[in-house]
Amino acid sequence: MRALLYLTWRSFVNNVKRALKKPVTLILIILLGVYAVYVLFMVGKLVTELRFDSADGLIALVSVWTIYIFLSDFLAYSSRKGVIFRQAHPHFVFPAPISPKLILIHSAWMNYLTSVVVSLLFVLAGVTVFSVEPWRMALFFIVGCILELLLEVSVMVFMYTNETLPERFMKGLSLGIKIFLGAMTLFLVLYFRREGFSLATVSAFFDWPGLQMIPVVGWNIAAYRLILTGPTNLNMVCTALYACTVAAAFLTAKHMRCEGAYYEDAAKFADDYAEMKRKQNSGEMVTGIGEKKRKFRRISGDYRASGAKAVFYRQLLEYKKERWFIFTKATVINLVASAVMAFALRQNVGRTEVPQLFLLGMTAYMTLVFSGITGKWETELKSPYLFLIPDTPFKKLWYATLMEHVKAFVDGIVLCVPMGAVWGVSPGLILMTILIYTVLQANKMYTRVVAQCLVGDFLGKTGQDIIRMLLQMFIIGIGGMAAVAAGILIHVNLVFPIILFYSIIVTAVMGALASVRFDTMEQMN
Amino acid sequence: MLEIQELSKSYGKHLAVDKVSFFVPDGQVGILLGPNGAGKSTIIKSIAGLLRYQGRIGIQGMSSRSLEAKKIFGYVPEIPALFDALTVREHVEYIRKAYSSTITDEEVQTLFERFELADKQDKLGNELSKGMMQKVSICCALAIKPRVILLDEPMVGLDPQAIKELKKVVLELRDQGVTVLISTHMLEMVEELWDVMFVMDQSHIIGSYRKEDVGEKDLDDLFFEMTGGEKR
Repeated sequence: MRALLYLTWRSFVNNVKRALKKPVTLILIILLGVYAVYVLFMVGKLVTELRFDSADGLIALVSVWTIYIFLSDFLAYSSRKGVIFRQAHPHFVFPAPISPKLILIHSAWMNYLTSVVVSLLFVLAGVTVFSVEPWRMALFFIVGCILELLLEVSVMVFMYTNETLPERFMKGLSLGIKIFLGAMTLFLVLYFRREGFSLATVSAFFDWPGLQMIPVVGWNIAAYRLILTGPTNLNMVCTALYACTVAAAFLTAKHMRCEGAYYEDAAKFADDYAEMKRKQNSGEMVTGIGEKKRKFRRISGDYRASGAKAVFYRQLLEYKKERWFIFTKATVINLVASAVMAFALRQNVGRTEVPQLFLLGMTAYMTLVFSGITGKWETELKSPYLFLIPDTPFKKLWYATLMEHVKAFVDGIVLCVPMGAVWGVSPGLILMTILIYTVLQANKMYTRVVAQCLVGDFLGKTGQDIIRMLLQMFIIGIGGMAAVAAGILIHVNLVFPIILFYSIIVTAVMGALASVRFDTMEQMN
Repeated sequence: MLEIQELSKSYGKHLAVDKVSFFVPDGQVGILLGPNGAGKSTIIKSIAGLLRYQGRIGIQGMSSRSLEAKKIFGYVPEIPALFDALTVREHVEYIRKAYSSTITDEEVQTLFERFELADKQDKLGNELSKGMMQKVSICCALAIKPRVILLDEPMVGLDPQAIKELKKVVLELRDQGVTVLISTHMLEMVEELWDVMFVMDQSHIIGSYRKEDVGEKDLDDLFFEMTGGEKR
């Protein structure tokens, strides 16, 4: 244990030292902290305005949190993905003479910290917003930090060290929890849609005695009800059951034999986690840890191209081997967002006479806000072969990104057509919006490269994204304002061609600037 | 001594190691050889306790999973993975605490000097090159003062000076009665080190030689004789 504590403490100290050496990181942390306080303050205000600021309101929030956190923890631990192990663990920690159970319990310290922080937030909110007596909230904190953590550790130890339950059973259990969570969410949505969202309906839902009778998680909620609103026969019995369950779970976990069989899964998780972080840092979209190995299609065909054009044909070949060709997660996001917005805003848009401007606004929003989705072009810059091709940097940039323009055009169709069709925008304007989307995506790519050249590694990936977004908003904003002026003074539909042509010009300039990056590899560092 | 009995390991339907048994006595250097995919890494990871397996692995007569066995067991994996936020010195300090090692500060300093790490002690794990990481990995394994040590492709990424030093270290360990098992492809690098060699192919040990039985015969001649390949 002494060695593990040393490991965690020194890592923490060195990370703090490193952060202090980079003032930008520190400023970002402070800004994020201020933003978090602001969000919490606003949520508190909203709760008060909704007349939700009573113990019943707090019980509702705590119940939802308890259900979701308990089940999602259970899900993560049952698939042995709930504890973060690093690649150094299989090297230095697993072979060490330290009890595997202790290693597991220690490695999950981040999970405990999250639970403690959330409990503290509830205590703070309970006293300030929900007007609950401080002694009740103190008791709430103790129960949250002791009983809940004890149960969490016990479940974790049981799930990781259990070697007797068959894998099929564990998979079935995970599936069951996922179905339950999905059904629960659907039920909540349908219930509040039918009954309306108010303190009365929320209380009616969470006052349902059946909720407290659900084994373990319901009993946990009952314990909180006992603390926050006082005793009833039901919540006292359920709290007693909860305390017994925690004690039984703890004793079971304590006596379980563990020789480190979970190391195999933990080592696999460490590799998957490192891969996920690598993808995240390089700006790729990540949906989970341990994504399945991609399968490629076998295709036949022959491509002949020389110079930088070869990059485009190589990318085309790669995309043809992909299962879904050029359709990616971005396509799905666009489709879902488009469908949701088309129907959600249908009535609001219908009341105005300018649905085309809504379409344009939504398209610009999707382009500016959604970042972190990169295609094959960005990996080109990591390959030395690109720089060895005997061609001009501009051609290399063009052919390395051409496929992205095609993809952006297709994604633009997916985004704009459903919204445009539902809102009754004319086909000509929909087409122009699709083209604007395509050009703005290209602009985003080139602005990102320019931002990388401008700030380098100084601000890190997030800093580059912020600079990219500000730069793009500023440049496109000028054109946008000119277009709006023309729209107001001459005709509203003039906004479209003006934005389109302005974006094309600006993007071409950005492209020319970004092509510098395709000259030598040295600039990457 | 290191004792492997009837070791089997499957990944799904693929049988990676099939009832493998071998033994490396105290004070001897064993070499595990075999083409890619033969199952060497699986054996190494099983000995290090990183995989579930069937069979028995004994370290000085104790089960390799026991904490007592782990206390005297050093492991140098093929790809070193250091803690990003720990310095070189702190890695060794962690090892000292984890293994209750008796290694002194002077001995650690000597180790660092032998592997040219003395001026890198305050560097963080993520600031080191792959070769440097490998040197730290070796130093950490040696800081345990092990009775059994496992080296998986230890020469990869090392500079000539470090390779020379590592060979010296292996011979010193052998002289101190430590059991050494090295898995490698670089036959010429272990030519002067080995006492017993095990050749693996397709999940099985297909043969073994003891140095005293083969006289002056080259290691690669023996290897190709057994695997049916050709020396170029």
